[in-house]
Amino acid sequence: MAQDQNYILEMCNITKKFPGVLALDDVTLRVRPGTVHSLMGENGAGKSTMMKCLFGIYQEDGGEIFVNGKKENFSSAKHALETGVSMIHQELSIVPERSVMENIWLGREPGKKLGPVQFVDHKKMFKDTETLLKNLEMEFSPNDRMGSLSISHQQACEIAKAVSCDASIVVMDEPTSSLTETEVNHLFKIINSLRDKGVAIIYISHKMSEIFQISDDVSVMRDGKLIATKKASELDEDKLIKLMVGRDMTNRFPPVDSIPAEVCLSAKNYTSDVERSFKDISLDLRKGEILGLGGLVGAQRTEFVESIFGLRKIKTGTLSINGKEIRIKSPEDAINAGIGLITEDRRGSGIFPLLSIIDNTSIPSLKGCRKKVGFLDHKKIFNTATGINKKLRTKTPTFHTPIQNLSGGNQQKVIVSRWLMTLPEILIMDEPTRGIDVGAKYEIYTIMSELVNAGKAIIMVSSEMPELIGMSHRVAVLCNGNLTGVLEKNDINSENIMRLATQFE
Amino acid sequence: MDTKISAVADKKGIVTLKTIQHTLGKHTNLVTLVVLIVALGIMTGGRALQISSLQNLMVAEAVRAFAALGVGLIIINRGIDLSIGQVVGLVACVSASLAQTSDYAGALYPGTVFPVFLPIIVGIAVGTLFGIINGLLVAYGNLPPFIATLGTMSIAAGLQLIYTRASTIGSLKNEYKHIAQGSLGPLPYLMIYVLAAVLILWIMMTQTRQGKAFYAIGGNPQAARVSGINVKLNLLKVYALGGFLYGISGVLLSSRLGLANPLTGDGMELDAIAAATVGGISHSGGIGTIGGIFIGVFTLGIITFGMTYMGVDSYYQLLVKGMIIIVAVYFDMKRHAKRA
Ligand SMILES: Nc1ncnc2c1ncn2[C@@H]1O[C@H](COP(=O)(O)OP(=O)(O)OP(=O)(O)O)[C@@H](O)[C@H]1O
Ligand SMILES: [Mg+2]
Repeated sequence: MAQDQNYILEMCNITKKFPGVLALDDVTLRVRPGTVHSLMGENGAGKSTMMKCLFGIYQEDGGEIFVNGKKENFSSAKHALETGVSMIHQELSIVPERSVMENIWLGREPGKKLGPVQFVDHKKMFKDTETLLKNLEMEFSPNDRMGSLSISHQQACEIAKAVSCDASIVVMDEPTSSLTETEVNHLFKIINSLRDKGVAIIYISHKMSEIFQISDDVSVMRDGKLIATKKASELDEDKLIKLMVGRDMTNRFPPVDSIPAEVCLSAKNYTSDVERSFKDISLDLRKGEILGLGGLVGAQRTEFVESIFGLRKIKTGTLSINGKEIRIKSPEDAINAGIGLITEDRRGSGIFPLLSIIDNTSIPSLKGCRKKVGFLDHKKIFNTATGINKKLRTKTPTFHTPIQNLSGGNQQKVIVSRWLMTLPEILIMDEPTRGIDVGAKYEIYTIMSELVNAGKAIIMVSSEMPELIGMSHRVAVLCNGNLTGVLEKNDINSENIMRLATQFE
Repeated sequence: MDTKISAVADKKGIVTLKTIQHTLGKHTNLVTLVVLIVALGIMTGGRALQISSLQNLMVAEAVRAFAALGVGLIIINRGIDLSIGQVVGLVACVSASLAQTSDYAGALYPGTVFPVFLPIIVGIAVGTLFGIINGLLVAYGNLPPFIATLGTMSIAAGLQLIYTRASTIGSLKNEYKHIAQGSLGPLPYLMIYVLAAVLILWIMMTQTRQGKAFYAIGGNPQAARVSGINVKLNLLKVYALGGFLYGISGVLLSSRLGLANPLTGDGMELDAIAAATVGGISHSGGIGTIGGIFIGVFTLGIITFGMTYMGVDSYYQLLVKGMIIIVAVYFDMKRHAKRA
């Protein structure tokens, strides 16, 4: 086959089968040098699988890969890296117990020879990392322990790592899932400078606005097939969504028309027992209300909601539920008080990889699924768990499939299903739609709307402006651990939120 | 070494309570060891801390130190090795059989004169071979390390009985015994070997790519793999290295005892794993230092030594030892939990 020199990367007729799933069906992707090529598609469309075939993590069952016109068959990540392909993985791939610099240079540490032995040159490693982080304007030290960084800083490290490889093709699989707007803009600066150097970037994200801001070309996948490759300038959001989901989607948010009633949860003077975390926060939540919690990453929103749920300790503060003051010392107390929490780091702390979707969904609800003698009511478990997952359109061959075989976004849907199944009175959702495609986002919003209509209350931590604006009755904004304001329905807009979120900067 | 006490003074040169606390927290293992030594010194009025008794302690622990270093590295890579004791025993028997005096009628190879280096080389080779088999089973056969090494443990035990025909191999050459029994001034040779191994392994773990790869695999194998590290090959390497160290351990053991029999090495796997664990090697992988293992070996050693010195019944010694292992690991886990 004569290869076109205009492309830096050609993946031709790639096919990949997993037991029960045809993940990639004859997909052809061509990428030009010096461009940002976005790869779009619903959860489970095959985007990550395609990139893992490129990176040598999976071996394709059929098809050919050409880099710079030369046929390549990567057998391992090492091989791909050596050929100039680097990748930011959808799943954070960090070694938490090691330092930032050891993580960044893992497997290719700068060496110095001393006699016959090759030693790691720690001084050079430190200097190189310092320069790299400075150039990328990242504000942590090469010696910081990776596990001590916030998730967003960990993701920033992975970006630094991919950039440091001097690769000619950089794959970014949902690099911004844990970044805030400022950090995303910062990443875009990095991407633009790479593009100017002639590097090709393959960019995967579920955030529409990003796609139009950064891409030159867009390829859309659905059900393991390539639907179309277009110039970004030829597309708009509606056209793109239509290509992705295969049907028109007129509304991005369902109507939220419940009317908040009496206060059901009231936190007073909440102050963390950790210095430099949240201080003196007083908030009320009403039945039938969605309370948005906005702010930049590092504003301590997660810390605040996790302390309500009993995962973190507080120094001062009282909590009352339905007017009664209670003390929550552990998640168990919180669950008994009718509070549910969908955590931010769902992939890290949420899944039991080898267990089935049903098990993963039903684990915290098993108490309510017992027959008289105490044996489990498997039929009820099956029906409820599959019902919720079907509603969220979790894409899977069967509901008995181990959750680790699902695509990233579909794993998250299962975790969301899990907490919906516990039927909480008060549901705290920390970044509920991170990594989830447009269609499924709509399903989650619909469920949220149904919940508040039924008199439940929701606290939604979100870094996505449109979601805060589209779904909340009120939005409370935190900045550096302080509550800087609560916006009523009519005042909710991005200017106001940003103003409150950056009050102390 | 990672475990050395770093400067406890802050910038102004004032030692604050906080910095002391911090440093102590960072080096719990070392602190435990020092406390134990001091306690022993006080309880025996300093008698237990004479040079000669310390020499005895070192000699007694040196052989175990090699085994603990080997299994410590394996645990850092999220593995485990149960075959240690039987492999060390087999090595001891094989090397002893090649070091018997040629005029000894009961020798396994009567009348044959082997050069002194032969038992050393063959012994270490046998250990390494078992390490390689363990590594192949775990890395390429995808067997859980617990099961794979349970199998090789039994195989080594069987071979040990078959080879020795269930009898003791004694009457070893003096030159051979000198390897482990000799000393350089006040320093027993055994101690020198251990220190050399600790130094080399410490350099490997902290100053070379190999060490970084081991820590990464233990910390997060998936991350290591996507960073271009050959995880399988490295697992094979670490089990082989473990086997190599057991090989040394076995040779030194037969040389120190001057004999070997089918019971030699029995139960050493538990001592080695306990020592590594007390020394701060985490069984969830990716955490721990060579210095820590070294300290762990001597912590357990000093406990046994101290109790024997004070005449504690050996049955009670077991109880105390067990409790100390649990307490040490409990505090270590607490420390790690705080950081997470
Ligand atoms: N290791 C695996 N074993 C079995 N099936 C798998 C495996 N990895 C992926 N799949 C299946 O392949 C399909 C494509 O998954 P992939 O991860 O590529 O989706 P994706 O487009 O990246 O989705 P997302 O946006 O949710 O990340 C899914 O149906 C998934 O269930
Ligand atoms: Mg994906």
